[in-house]
Amino acid sequence: MSSPAQEFLRSAAIKSADQKHRQIVRRGIDHYESAVERNRARFSSWEAARQRAHEIKWEAVNNLDKYLLEFEARVKERGGHVFWAENSEQARLYITDLAARAGVRTVVKSKSMVTEEIHLTSALEEKGIQVFETDLGEFIVQLRNEPPYHIMTPAMHLSRTDIADLFREKLGEIESDDPQELVAAARRALRKAFFSAEMGISGANFLVADSGMIALTTNEGNGRLGTSLPRIHVAVAGIEKMIPRTEDLALLWPTIAQAAVGQSIACYNTLLGGPRSANEVDGPEEFHVVLLDNGRSELLANAEQRDVLHCIRCGACLNACPVFRTVGGHTYGTTYPGPIGSVLTPNLRGGEQFQHLPFASSLCGACTDVCPVKIDLHHHLLHNRRDIVDSTSRPAVERLGFQLWRWMMMSARRFALLGSAGRAALRLLYAIGLEGSVLDPLRPWTKVHAAPAIPAKSFRTLWREHRGTDQ
Amino acid sequence: MEQTNKVAENAGRERILARIRAALREPAPKHSAPAAPERIFAAVTNPLERFREECSKNNTEFIVVADMAAAAASVGDIVASLPAGEIFVQDAPSLRAMTRAWPRERSIRWSAEGGPAETSEATITLAEELVAQTGSVFVSAACGGRGASVVAPVHIVVAQVGQFVPDLEAAFARLRERNTVAQNSFLCLITGSSRTADIEKIIVMGAHGPRRLVVVLALSSQ
Repeated sequence: MSSPAQEFLRSAAIKSADQKHRQIVRRGIDHYESAVERNRARFSSWEAARQRAHEIKWEAVNNLDKYLLEFEARVKERGGHVFWAENSEQARLYITDLAARAGVRTVVKSKSMVTEEIHLTSALEEKGIQVFETDLGEFIVQLRNEPPYHIMTPAMHLSRTDIADLFREKLGEIESDDPQELVAAARRALRKAFFSAEMGISGANFLVADSGMIALTTNEGNGRLGTSLPRIHVAVAGIEKMIPRTEDLALLWPTIAQAAVGQSIACYNTLLGGPRSANEVDGPEEFHVVLLDNGRSELLANAEQRDVLHCIRCGACLNACPVFRTVGGHTYGTTYPGPIGSVLTPNLRGGEQFQHLPFASSLCGACTDVCPVKIDLHHHLLHNRRDIVDSTSRPAVERLGFQLWRWMMMSARRFALLGSAGRAALRLLYAIGLEGSVLDPLRPWTKVHAAPAIPAKSFRTLWREHRGTDQ
Repeated sequence: MEQTNKVAENAGRERILARIRAALREPAPKHSAPAAPERIFAAVTNPLERFREECSKNNTEFIVVADMAAAAASVGDIVASLPAGEIFVQDAPSLRAMTRAWPRERSIRWSAEGGPAETSEATITLAEELVAQTGSVFVSAACGGRGASVVAPVHIVVAQVGQFVPDLEAAFARLRERNTVAQNSFLCLITGSSRTADIEKIIVMGAHGPRRLVVVLALSSQ
């Protein structure tokens, strides 16, 4: 079996040459980008919104113990249960035990990346429980038996024709590939599940400390049906989803909608806390919140990278990333792909398996520019590279190379001298026909890029000639 | 079973809290705010006009009428245009009065009898607030429950002009003032009708929730 790093390279090579994949992803991101551009006018200052969102999340994450306790106390006052899970296994066990105790046979799930992270669906299925993903994108990838491609748009890699073919095979009776008809088919298929399920499982976009409620943002309404109709509602959330005050949502709701899909606000922004109370018409009889650590408290201990826990999972950094667009979401082989995934995964999953991810970046900084909570993503990618290099033994030739590079870069004279020697050597090599051969030091670059011509003069020479001074 | 879970729960809880407290001993950097903070959203000057504009963008049908009698007639017309079948109505005095004005051929399920049936043709409820900034309706569990605004293909909201708030900030301030958040296990800010963009990022209206959201506003509460 190959390592995740080898698998990444293999899949990246296939995906980046797949014209159909490129075209579908390009089209999805084009729609996204034009919506985001159009909708930015809703903010007098998008920069001020980002700053405020950053401050709210900073406040919550840097006082996390205090807000978690406040949240827990409020949930309990509302008659709900709070379970603190240190890892995936504890979270899964709590939920499967609860389902077994309550005789649950069917679960409806609304979209939640954290339940992907803990592999909840397969754990429930092993207990003989039927699990329906009810978000359309999640429903599609569940039918295909594959993980979500993108944290916000799980089926971004599929065209309407792909989806129509899938529905025809699994659901029958699909006449056209009109998205309207496909959505109607999914609605019909899931309607029965909503009304028969005993348990609804959701994530949480925010945990609101001062009210003991979870905030769920959805457009389809699936998350609302799944938390209204079944007898038990379980919300699973990473501990970092905390925000201090209900009022913070006045900013965060429009901000997450803009960053995620370029919408002024999502269709349904719901606050849920506790089971149905005695004077209420409907709602679940039991309300459980599973607070998941799973490596987050270790990331919290890294003050330099603590702001990674500000992430609201909008997916903007994936859409902006030239690497994500080219290699696609599945190539990462992780729950969270793209720039945020490349920062999070080595931290959350530890070990050496995912150390290649911070290198899968051009460090262009587009992710940092679009992040609605101002996470310094590209610097974290660079810091992760630094930490990986510091903590692992590197090949002798790499160490020697960088020592030489450093020595050269420390003196202008040495830089000029070695630069000119290098150009001369390259010219000689190419003159005897070795361009592009294994002896060509530029081969790793030029085998996939057009080779630039070797310049006749160095930059320093040109500068002197045109400006007449070396100063 | 219950007992072992309790123990595991407490153990995990203390360990997580201890790790968080240890982690936070070292302070983290913060992006500093500019000296003169800018406004994030422009002020809403005419809430009614803004609400109307937003509704036309987000696909909410917005009907303004003079008084509650006219609202009753307007809602009655919409209901009459729907396929035969049960409708669900929040059990509130104003809505009871409203349905009394209708011809008697609709079967009505009142919220006092429980949530809406799967086959409801429409639901009719009140709202906590109307938010002009985004053209949204804020509902709570007190507005006929959780299912009332999501189960049926049509959701009709009957509102009064005093329920307008200019923006989200004002909406939350008013909820706080009236203690609405603490008193309800459910609140929802509804903006337009259910939709999805999961296929090629193309927006399709009417996913799992209502295909139509109708707001009927009475300018006078009489």
